[in-house]
Amino acid sequence: MPTPTLELRALRKAFGKFQAVDGVSLTVPPGTVFGLLGPNGAGKTTTIRMLMDIIGPDSGEVWLFGNRRRRKDLDRVGYLPEERGLYRKMTVSEQLLFLGQLHGRGRRELEPRIEEWLGKVGLGDRARAKVEELSKGMQQKVQLVGTLLHDPELLILDEPFSGLDPINQGLFKDLLAAHKEAGRTVLFSTHVMEQAEKLCDHIALIARGRVVLEGQLAELKRRMSGNSYRLVARGDLAALAELPEVEEVLAGDGAARLLARPGVEASQLLRQLVSRVAVEEFRSAEPDLEEIFVKAVHEAMGEDAARAAAEEIPA
Amino acid sequence: MNVKLLTITRREYLSRVKTKAFWIGTVALPLLMAAWMVLPTLIMSRARGGLVLVVVDETGTVAPALARELEEGLPRQGRQANLDLEVVAPAADVAAQQEELDRRILADQIDAWLWVSQQGLDENRLEYHGQTVTNLLTLEVLERLVSRVVRQQRLVAAGYDPQQIEQLVTGVSLHKVQVSEAGARADQGLGGLALAIGLFTILYMAIMIYGNMVMHGVLEEKANRVVELVVSTVQPWELMAGKLLGIGAVALTQIGIWLGSAAVLTAPGLMTALAAMPEDVPLPTLSPVLVLHFLAHFLLGFTLYASFYALIGAAFNNPQEAQQLAGFGVIFLVAPWMVFMPVLNDPDGTLAVVSSLIPLFTPLLMMLRIAVKMPPAWQLALGYGLTLALDLFMIWVCARVYRVGILMYGKRPTLREIWRWMRYA
Repeated sequence: MPTPTLELRALRKAFGKFQAVDGVSLTVPPGTVFGLLGPNGAGKTTTIRMLMDIIGPDSGEVWLFGNRRRRKDLDRVGYLPEERGLYRKMTVSEQLLFLGQLHGRGRRELEPRIEEWLGKVGLGDRARAKVEELSKGMQQKVQLVGTLLHDPELLILDEPFSGLDPINQGLFKDLLAAHKEAGRTVLFSTHVMEQAEKLCDHIALIARGRVVLEGQLAELKRRMSGNSYRLVARGDLAALAELPEVEEVLAGDGAARLLARPGVEASQLLRQLVSRVAVEEFRSAEPDLEEIFVKAVHEAMGEDAARAAAEEIPA
Repeated sequence: MNVKLLTITRREYLSRVKTKAFWIGTVALPLLMAAWMVLPTLIMSRARGGLVLVVVDETGTVAPALARELEEGLPRQGRQANLDLEVVAPAADVAAQQEELDRRILADQIDAWLWVSQQGLDENRLEYHGQTVTNLLTLEVLERLVSRVVRQQRLVAAGYDPQQIEQLVTGVSLHKVQVSEAGARADQGLGGLALAIGLFTILYMAIMIYGNMVMHGVLEEKANRVVELVVSTVQPWELMAGKLLGIGAVALTQIGIWLGSAAVLTAPGLMTALAAMPEDVPLPTLSPVLVLHFLAHFLLGFTLYASFYALIGAAFNNPQEAQQLAGFGVIFLVAPWMVFMPVLNDPDGTLAVVSSLIPLFTPLLMMLRIAVKMPPAWQLALGYGLTLALDLFMIWVCARVYRVGILMYGKRPTLREIWRWMRYA
C-alpha cells in the first residue's frame, strides 16, 4: 500500500465541556478525492483546522506526506477555509503574489504563474484591479486561484461549494477533476451528500465528533445495500407482501422497493417474483449516501442518535 | 530570517504607505506647522502695505520724532506692526478736519488717524480713530512708540541730556539658559517648552492613531474572512507580529518625515528669513539624543497599546463592539494629560518621578520629562526596563487571546470568555 498522503490518528479536541472532535482517525490514500461528510456541527471544520495546525488538538497526531506534520509540509497543501475572503484593497495580482509567497514561493516563480492562472479563469485583464472592484463571482475565482497557485500536492477544501455561484461550481469541479487527473489528492468536507456522491472515491462519515464509517464509496455502497431491492414490474405489487421471502414492500406505480427476509438469496427471491408479476427490472438497491449515513450512525451510536442525525441532515 | 514574517510585514507596510490618505496626513502636518509660523506675518505684510496712519500734530514736535522712531525702531519689532505714517498739518477748524479724516477712513483711503494736541498730552490721552480698534498688536506697538517719544520729550523739557535719557530709560530682558546634565542649552526658554509640548502631543497622537490602526487591521481581516487563510500558512503570532512591525514601520516613516521637516523648519536662519522673525527669538533644536529617546519611547508605547488593540480587534467582530474596550485603553493614554502641567513645572518632583515610572504612562511622561529636563540615568533605565517587561507580558497575553479570537465569528464574546481563551493551551 502506498504511503498515505494524510493520516489522522485519534485527534481529540474539546471546547470547554463540548467535545467537538472525539478521536477522529482516518487515512487519505494518494490520488483520491476524499469526502469528509457529516451534518453541520459534526466536527468537520474543527478536524480540518487541526490538520492545518490552525488550532492545536488536545491529543492525537497528524501525519502528512509520510511524516509527522511539520510546519513546512503545509506549504505543499492548498487550503480553502469555510470562512474565506480576500483583502479588499489589494489588487488581484498583489493578492495572489502575497498568498503565493506565504506558501514559500518566490516572486519570480509566481509572476508568470499568476498571469497563466488568471488567463485560465478568464481574469487576464483584471490583474491590476482592486479586489473590491470585482464582482462576487470574480472574487471567488481569485480565491480559487489563490488556493491552487502554488501547485499543492494536497487540496483541503472546507465546504468548497457553499456560496459559489453555479458557473464557479462548474469551474471548480473541472479544476478538481484536473487536479485528480494529475495524480494529486483532494480532501473536502461537505454536508450536502449529493455532491459527495458525485465527486468522491473515498468518504468518511462524521457524526458528533466521531468517524462512524470510512472507506471506498463503491465498496461501502455494496456493503450497505444488504437485502434491499428495486423492482419494476406489471401486476399487483402490493400483494407481494404476502410472499414468505419478503419482509416489507413499498409499492409505487409500476415500481416497488422490497426488503427481503434475512437469509433470503436474490435468485431465490427473483424466482418467486417472476411467478407473481411480469418483471421488467430487478436489481439490488444501492442505498444513497443519506441512507448509509443514518444507518451508520444507528449502528455506531444507537437509535436516538440516528434519528437526531437524520434530522440534522439538511433537506 | 523568517521569510513569511517578512512577507506579512511588507504587506502591512506597503498596503498603508501606498494610500493617498497616508501621504496627505504626512504632508499636512508639517505644512500646517509651517503655515502657522509663516502665514500671519505674510498676510499682514503682503495683503496691504501696513497700517496707513495720519498724524495731525498741533505741537509740531511729536510727529517728527515718531517718524524717526519708526524708521529706526520698528524693524526690531518684526513686521507685525507695519505703520505708514502720513503727517498732516493741523487746519484752523479742528472739528472740520477731524470730520474730513473720518470720511477718508470710511472711503478706505487711510486706516486711522492720531491727533496730538497739547491738551491731550497734558491729560495723557490722545485721540485715535480707526477702521478697527481691535488690532491689538499694532495698537500696542503704536502706544509704546508714542509713549516713548512723549516720555523722552518730557525728560528733555525737564532738562535732561538726550544722550543720557537713552541709557536711563532702557529696560532689561532676561537671558534664559536651561541648566541640564547634557550641558547648558542657551535660550531654550519658550522654544524648549514648545518643543516638549510638541513632542508629547505627537507621541500621544501617534500611539493612539497607530494603535487604532492595528485594531482596525485585525477587525478588517476578520470581517473579510481572510484571516483563516493567512493563519493556515503562518502561525497566528507571526501574523500579529507582522502587523505590529508593519504598522510600526508606517508610523516611523511618518514620524521620521515629521521630525525631519521640524528639523528643517527650526533650522537657524530659515524661519527668520521666511517669517521675518526677529533674529533674537530662540528656536528649539532637536538633538539626536532627544530623537533617539523619542523613537524608543514611541516603540515601547506603540507596542504596549497596539498589542492590546490587536487583542480587542481579534476578540470582537466590528468597530462598534470593539469601541467599548478600546475606550478602556484610551483612559491610560489620556491619564498622562492630567499630570502634564505638574510634570512640566517640576520635572524632578515626586509626582513626576512616580507617575513617569508607572510603565503604562512611562512612554508619554518620561518622554515629556526628557524633553524638559533630562532625568537621572537610573530613572531612565528603570523606566525603559519596566516598560519593556510590560510590553513583553502584554504581547504574550494578547497573542494568546488573538490566536483564539481571530477564528471566532458571530456573537460578541463576554469578558469571561476572553479570559478563558487566554488560558487555552
